[in-house]
Amino acid sequence: MTVGPLIVDHLVVEFVHDGYAIRPLDGLSFEAKAGELVVLLGPSGCGKTTLLSCLGGILTPTSGTIEVGATDVTALKGKDLDRYRREEIGFVFQAFNLIPSLTARENVAVPLTLTGTSRADAFARADDLLEQVGLAERGGHLPSKLSGGQMQRVAVARGLGHDPKLLLADEPTANLDHIQAEAIIRLLQGLRDDGRMIVVSTHDARLVPIADRIVQMVPPHGEPEDPMKKVSYPAGESIFEQGDASDLVYVIDSGEVDVIRVLADGSEEHLNRLGAGDYFGELGPFLGFPRSASVRAHTDVELTAYSARLFRERVLHGD
Amino acid sequence: MILLTLRDLVFRRTRFIVVSLLGAVVFALLFVMTGLVEQFNLEPVDSVDAIGVEAWVLPESAKGPFTSAPTMPTSTVDAVDAAQASPVVTSRSSLVEEPGTRGEEVIVIGHVIDGLGSPDVSDGRAAAAPGELTADESMGLELGQVVTLGDESFTVVGFTKDTTLLAGIPLVFMPVEEAQQIVFRTTDVISAVLVDGDVGELPPGFKLMTSEEVADDVLEPLEGAIASVDLVRVLLWIVAAIIIGAVVYLSALERQRDFAVLKAIGASDRSLLASLAIQAVLVALVAVGVAAVIQLFLAPAFPLRVRVPARAFWQLPLLAVVMSLIAGAVGMRKVMRADPSQAFAGAA
Repeated sequence: MTVGPLIVDHLVVEFVHDGYAIRPLDGLSFEAKAGELVVLLGPSGCGKTTLLSCLGGILTPTSGTIEVGATDVTALKGKDLDRYRREEIGFVFQAFNLIPSLTARENVAVPLTLTGTSRADAFARADDLLEQVGLAERGGHLPSKLSGGQMQRVAVARGLGHDPKLLLADEPTANLDHIQAEAIIRLLQGLRDDGRMIVVSTHDARLVPIADRIVQMVPPHGEPEDPMKKVSYPAGESIFEQGDASDLVYVIDSGEVDVIRVLADGSEEHLNRLGAGDYFGELGPFLGFPRSASVRAHTDVELTAYSARLFRERVLHGD
Repeated sequence: MILLTLRDLVFRRTRFIVVSLLGAVVFALLFVMTGLVEQFNLEPVDSVDAIGVEAWVLPESAKGPFTSAPTMPTSTVDAVDAAQASPVVTSRSSLVEEPGTRGEEVIVIGHVIDGLGSPDVSDGRAAAAPGELTADESMGLELGQVVTLGDESFTVVGFTKDTTLLAGIPLVFMPVEEAQQIVFRTTDVISAVLVDGDVGELPPGFKLMTSEEVADDVLEPLEGAIASVDLVRVLLWIVAAIIIGAVVYLSALERQRDFAVLKAIGASDRSLLASLAIQAVLVALVAVGVAAVIQLFLAPAFPLRVRVPARAFWQLPLLAVVMSLIAGAVGMRKVMRADPSQAFAGAA
């Protein structure tokens, strides 16, 4: 099995939600080679699933490109996109997403029949794949009669039905105990060793040691060099912008600031005006989220900027 | 896709069985309603055919022999220039089976013995002497039974089949003189003249009605009833459409994640729509099939004869298929709108 490199270049996905724009992916770039297991690591909501959707041709990014070998996925449309999804990509969905009315064997065979494989060949292939994932004896069972780990293995077998070059797995170890998770991790290792490229989204650190490449979806959340510093901004200047990475929490020593949300149409919604003694920007650093609003100096302001840890200790707990 | 469709039907079998049975009851009622309308439409044709003449001579002022009470002198028969002409008496009356019991409404046809108007019998023989009558078999009388009409007693000597008018009122055939006595108390008056063959110029004040016109005239009083039954039929179709549409919509709603997954792995909208459409059609056809059996048990419970036409057994399934596809369209829109990215959504 050979597959060209995966190149993700300045990928941007922007959604409009409740009138304002959010960017789960904002300029993401990385590359991976054939036979690599790529782990997309990050907390919930950081854009892992959005990236998998883009890689699988399910979601069209706002800008940027994705190349899988010689295929520019972002340029595919209509039937070419359907063919790419049917033939090049294997999906392992979060929560298995097996079709409840079909047996394990049928769940694996159905995608093959979609690619024009005869029913007899599809079922023969399904039997092979179920044997590979150690479920040859369970092929006739409905998903409701399988354990979580077994369902996930069926989902992996389904993803491998047409021998895809690129296997995309969304949280494949979520909701599994350590024994079931270990079986899935071993299975993914084996598939990677066959020369297939595997991209796995997870917030499960158990997958990190086996990854050939880790894509941090959120920049590492380290302690700033200077955990407390005095800063000043003249009236009208931006302190931070909506969507920026969150690092510091600000306490206003003097002056006033405006908290503004930028809407999808480019207009601005004024959320609040804060003065001396108030603080702002604390939730982003606490939770690892990007800034949810912009803050600008209304007058000349003097601020004390804290790291999240120091802010929690000194301001919130008064240590 | 057929595998997916059938497996889903089995997976949700309880619902599909319940819905198919509900649909079957509705379709069975549709069969029965269709049979009633057919009976309303064919009843006058069959009965007028049983009288077996080409035309009727009536006073110009009379609407028809069964929708008005025409009278004319018996001598009018001689004044009519026709190859064959016979007097006839038509009148509503009451037939009493047991003295002291309530009578059953009948339409008396008085005809010349073995002449025009003498009906074909399905059992026994036609009335051939005073005191005899031939009755429609739907009355449930027995050969040799003595019944009372007016003040006269009659012996049942034969039965006719499919000879009812005005939604089930049975015809009773008897010699014209007896009918004249019961209806007019004199033999000088008749209701009309039955004619066959070429008819010359009629005496002034009379008109000729063909048997087809007589049949159409008898149908007129039932037009309101037929329109009402037709309205019920339309309502039943709407109910059937709602039942099938609802189950297809529910199925589409519950399977939205499945459809998203299948779309994500490359299934086309068309194949998924076909899967849902096949389900709708199968439910409709199963329901119609069961309904065809249910109506066999339902029809005898109706006081009127239910005559389901043979064409109903292919028209109804065909219409049901078309209706199920239209009704299922709402559910199918759900399939079209299923976003493949939902396949990546969290726990199901």
